[in-house]
Amino acid sequence: MKLNNTFPDQVVSDKKVLKSLNEPDKESKLVVLQSVGYPFLCNLVENPKIEIFDKELFELYAKEQWEGCTAKEGSFLFDQKLLPDYAFKIIKAHPDNSQITTNTSIILMEVKESREIKKIESNVRMNDVIGQERAKTKCKVIMKYLQDPDLFREWAPRNVLFYGAPGTGKTMLAKSLSNELKVPLFLVKATSLIGEHVGDGSRQIHDLFEAATACAPSVIFIDEIDAVGLDRKYQSLRGDVSEVVNALLTELDGIETNKGVVTIGATNNPYLLDFAIRSRFEEEIEFVLPNEKERLEILEFYIKSMPLQVKVDARKLSKCTKGMSGRDLKDKILKVALHKAISEDKDILEWEHVKYALKQYKQKKNEPKEMFA
Amino acid sequence: MQPFSGAGYDRAITVFSPDGRLFQVEYAREAVKRGTTSLGVKSTEGIVLAVDKRPTSKLVEPKSIEKIFQIDDHIGAATSGLVADARALIEKARTESQINKITYNEPIRVEGLAKRICDLKQMYTQHGGVRPFGSALIIGGVNGTGCKLFETDPSGALIEYKATAIGAGRHVAMEEFEKKYHEDINLEEAIELALDAIYEATDGKTTKESVEIAVIGIKDKKFRKLSDDEIAEHVEELLIRKSKEEKEE
Repeated sequence: MKLNNTFPDQVVSDKKVLKSLNEPDKESKLVVLQSVGYPFLCNLVENPKIEIFDKELFELYAKEQWEGCTAKEGSFLFDQKLLPDYAFKIIKAHPDNSQITTNTSIILMEVKESREIKKIESNVRMNDVIGQERAKTKCKVIMKYLQDPDLFREWAPRNVLFYGAPGTGKTMLAKSLSNELKVPLFLVKATSLIGEHVGDGSRQIHDLFEAATACAPSVIFIDEIDAVGLDRKYQSLRGDVSEVVNALLTELDGIETNKGVVTIGATNNPYLLDFAIRSRFEEEIEFVLPNEKERLEILEFYIKSMPLQVKVDARKLSKCTKGMSGRDLKDKILKVALHKAISEDKDILEWEHVKYALKQYKQKKNEPKEMFA
Repeated sequence: MQPFSGAGYDRAITVFSPDGRLFQVEYAREAVKRGTTSLGVKSTEGIVLAVDKRPTSKLVEPKSIEKIFQIDDHIGAATSGLVADARALIEKARTESQINKITYNEPIRVEGLAKRICDLKQMYTQHGGVRPFGSALIIGGVNGTGCKLFETDPSGALIEYKATAIGAGRHVAMEEFEKKYHEDINLEEAIELALDAIYEATDGKTTKESVEIAVIGIKDKKFRKLSDDEIAEHVEELLIRKSKEEKEE
């Protein structure tokens, strides 16, 4: 709870005190207020939203109740009539520390509701994503576009779909994009777009795109987009599918032109997507499993950051990890091997630990190989 | 193929999905991809069939893994996919071939045999209560003065090829064929090309034990599996050639 910080010893409700102390003789010309809300909340009280539709009317109302109060930047004024004890912060007073009179003009600053942009804490660079050249090229185009959106006009990149096996770097690339970009990136998990009640889903999608348009140029990255872009034939399984899909459709390429907003969707199951949503994506970029050379690069990249000394031939390991994704290599091989080495109190990670991890991995993938030839 | 893509239309083979697909048959094609690579090349001097049969364990006797079968004197087949299904199909092919010989007193034509096999495969996509064959066949043989090479898939589709591959490494092998195949390739070159394709499809893990090759010459019209020594020689050549290529790079 914030009290009037200039007079910490005073009783707040007695606002007349403000006037009696340090008598300012100046008359304030301009006071800018910002609505703050009640000093505290409880389950009976809810912070109301304040909307001014007539500025003059508000000014009159404000002058009448705060006449004689001291306007000091950073202090608070409390409403005494309509919403008793509703607080307004004085953002600006000119001159500072002056008295509000009938000549003072009082303005309430409009609070822009800003959606919090999630800044992702990661230090992934685009070069850390190994392979996936096509996706990286596209990201570079997107970056160029966002630097100069007017250049592209209707030829701008708008919707791109990343798809491919899990662990091939779709989300990682998006994270790196947020690092390299100087514009806001809205990283949304598609599951968070599904609301509790029917109607929430579509509203949240609209809100998201509205927020993105408001701070355009910007990028929206929707991870696991199949959660919201599900094929409408699943309507019978999940009642809000059609509603959510329609919301997404209009936002992706609807009546309103999203100027300077690029949407990237990621999924490992593009077949589940609604065909109309798929058609909205100008480019579908597949993330493929790394080949031997890329696996070697990935291994070397991760080995660099391992806490133990590593005495493992990465080339040999890259040869016997065919079909593994980047995440498999990191989590299922290197991490398991590292933990094995740590559990044995070793200072050096050796081939035997990797061999253990490989064995564990193979045991998990229990395919009936004898059936096929 | 991804899970639930069928959305119920993959429960029975006889039910079409609204966009006209038979998911069970498509899944059977996936079963073929689980098998190791098999391939066939047509040359001016005959057909070459070659397979990669990497044993799953060192305890397995490599000779016991059969992927190339003789169907008749002049016809052979290379398979990939479900082993048991392949064997059943080969059995059927052998019988058909003999029936033809007894009925008409002449060897069966390669195309005719391939069509018989495909008729059978097709039946298993249209009747209730059965499942499609989970294996593909490359059927190669000699007719009169020419040779023919067919690929059959679980749906019963039949396509004649100059060179083709099935199984896990199909994609890579086909790329290799498209790069290197030419019309006047001779038998030796065809074996070389087949081994090249297997080498690429198996990421270079080719040994003399893991390869099996059969040829059907136009002149003698006889199916013949290459002996271990011959294969060892060819594989050795291949490995020398590949290590040279790598050095050049």
